Amino acid sequence: MAIFFLIVVLVSGAISTTVGIHLINNHIIQRAQNQVRHDLASAWMVYDEELNDVKDIVQVTSERFFLKNALITGEQSIARRELERVRKTYDLDILTLTDKKGLVIARTRNPYNVGDDQSNDDLVSRALKREIVAATQIVPVEQLKLEGDGLAEKAYCVLRSTPRTKPTLKKYQTSGMMLKSAVPIEDDNKNLLGTLYGGALLNRNYEIVDRIKNVVYKGEQYEGKDIGTATIFQWDVRISTNVTGLNGNRAIETRVSEEVYDEVLENGKSWIDRAFVVNDWYITSYEPIKDVNDKIIGILYVGILEQPYLYMKKNVMWSMIKYLIVAVVVAMTITFFLGRAITKPILNLVRATDQISRGHFPSEVKITSKDEIGRLSESFNSMSRRLKQTLDEKDIVNQSLKGLNTRYLELLGFVTHELMQPLGVLKGYLIMMRDVGSVIALKPGQQKQAVSTMLRNVDVLINMSQTYLQLSKIESGELEIDRQKVNVYKDIIVPVMKDEKPQSTMRNISFEVENEEEFKELEVWADPIMLRIVYNNLVTNAIKYGRKGGKISLGFKNEGDFYQFNVKNEGEGIPQDKLETIFEKFVRLEGKSGRKHRGTGLGLFNTREIIKKHHGQLWAESVEGEWVNFIFTLPKGQPTYVAESK
Amino acid sequence: MEEKKAKILVVDDEPDMVKMLKTMLENASYEVVAAYEGEEGIKKAKEEKPDVIVLDLMMPVMDGFEACKEMKNDPELAGIPVLVLTAISQHFAHTRYAKSLGLELESEDYIDKPVDPNLLLKRIATLLGK
Repeated sequence: MAIFFLIVVLVSGAISTTVGIHLINNHIIQRAQNQVRHDLASAWMVYDEELNDVKDIVQVTSERFFLKNALITGEQSIARRELERVRKTYDLDILTLTDKKGLVIARTRNPYNVGDDQSNDDLVSRALKREIVAATQIVPVEQLKLEGDGLAEKAYCVLRSTPRTKPTLKKYQTSGMMLKSAVPIEDDNKNLLGTLYGGALLNRNYEIVDRIKNVVYKGEQYEGKDIGTATIFQWDVRISTNVTGLNGNRAIETRVSEEVYDEVLENGKSWIDRAFVVNDWYITSYEPIKDVNDKIIGILYVGILEQPYLYMKKNVMWSMIKYLIVAVVVAMTITFFLGRAITKPILNLVRATDQISRGHFPSEVKITSKDEIGRLSESFNSMSRRLKQTLDEKDIVNQSLKGLNTRYLELLGFVTHELMQPLGVLKGYLIMMRDVGSVIALKPGQQKQAVSTMLRNVDVLINMSQTYLQLSKIESGELEIDRQKVNVYKDIIVPVMKDEKPQSTMRNISFEVENEEEFKELEVWADPIMLRIVYNNLVTNAIKYGRKGGKISLGFKNEGDFYQFNVKNEGEGIPQDKLETIFEKFVRLEGKSGRKHRGTGLGLFNTREIIKKHHGQLWAESVEGEWVNFIFTLPKGQPTYVAESK
Repeated sequence: MEEKKAKILVVDDEPDMVKMLKTMLENASYEVVAAYEGEEGIKKAKEEKPDVIVLDLMMPVMDGFEACKEMKNDPELAGIPVLVLTAISQHFAHTRYAKSLGLELESEDYIDKPVDPNLLLKRIATLLGK
């Protein structure tokens, strides 16, 4: 059971961890992306500022007198010298003067190369239309060569391959990309005199990207690497960057990854995500750079090294996992103790059940709580009690069945003995009669007495048979009472006393009838045969158990709706606790010497059943060592249902 | 010259049985004395000094088992042979009576009821050493 709780705890721990990691991931990536989006905006400001600087220099220079003078007079040597000074001062790569048709008059870097037509240039053509323009521009290699020594070399790059770039056939790049501005020059009357254009080549010019790095990221580093990086792409080639390659050099001449190429250069969209830049993973942002005609010519990029974020993520996750582990351990500990609190009583129940299954009844299971387990324990205890009670009752029933069985066997013994007695007498006399001439042959004088003894014994046998017949009738509920008017004294008592005379005489027991005169007149409604059995049984018992030389009294009393009869004998008596059991079947009391008396074992049982059928009662009273009195009642008058039962 | 009759004590609680046995044994030329209970039997045995005692086992108050035991424990009576009459047949050998019969009976001989008179006479003759 405890294991299930542990599993629940572990599973919820695992779910919390997963959800936590997911949330942390999202949160940190979101944060990094917001950061980089913001950084790109800053980068654009720096970039535009640079472009504006170029424009401002060109514009301010174009206002100067010597230019107008040179254009008017045709004397360009002073102008050329001044322009060269301005170019060097403001670190421009080119600064060139054209006439009003766009033909070059003065060139700073390449002073002897003049006279070429610049009116087709995107920016110069606009300046000729009196527009002040500034924009990023792709400058072909011929133009670079025209403008001055070293520019073409500065722009030239051999493309190096890095992972994840778009395949290309291009091996090198010769053109350059320039921040360029062109402004018209007018006289005082606003007549166009010419144009001035200037520019700064971006190839291998790290001023902008380093300014972005310093302004936006303040030069922060992580494990020796710049956290923030910026790059200017000419089309897909890095021409200015502070991303470094494996050798620690700036990773120019490398190209952008294919996915960024597609999204930014081809679709003109900005791109914010994790990206693999040269050699490391960055959280990056790319946006297209457009020329004066709004054509995409390159990309401006900023990126934050992903590692610090990963590190941060790792830290946050670890501390979260640490807390989770602590929480899980605490939960498991609590679960363990809770589980034990639950399982302990259950284990007790299991042990008790086990014991019961092996037939031992343990003392009751301890109830420690009022919850379901407590109730279960209670039910268990009451079940166990009831089970034990049932088994005990079964034992008792078994015992009594065993007892009954033994009594039946004893009964058989008695029956046999009782039968043997009269049969033995009969057999003895019969053999004496048969064996005429033998020593034991009956002599003539003995015949009469022998026959009457034999007859009496035949009667005994008949009587016994009747008793067992009565039992079978009583047992099967067939005993029927045929009530008639009976004179108890004359019809019952006198014949019974006569029958029992030999036995009573032998034991020297005398009969006494109480209030004999009244008794002689008494008549009751009863079955005479049954009533005779009653008296016969009671008197036989009285003789059998009565004290030798004692007295048997027979009496009756008027008791309300009943007559009460009694047969009392002097003798050992019956213990108080046996006064009821003697009425059970096959129960005989043991005498003083511990010996059993003879009998059918049914006398009192049958007698009581007969009295019950008469709607009377039979019971015994006794004073031990003195007397026993059997008392029975019979209702007065003729019962109304006699006619029915007849 | 008539030989002195052997004296037999019959102890049985059934008067008819006693009567029958008495008639039979007297016809067979024995002198018969009767007792109807164990105690009475012991008393009579001491008074009459019988040559054989015929003892019924099943009697009220003091039964044959006990009477037999007492007789055998009494030096005065121990020499008198006892023939036990029993109605306890082999079929009820598992009852407590049968068990006590096997364990306690110290009589010289026994005979099943109902008594076969000729068998009884033979047994008595044997006990008398005739």
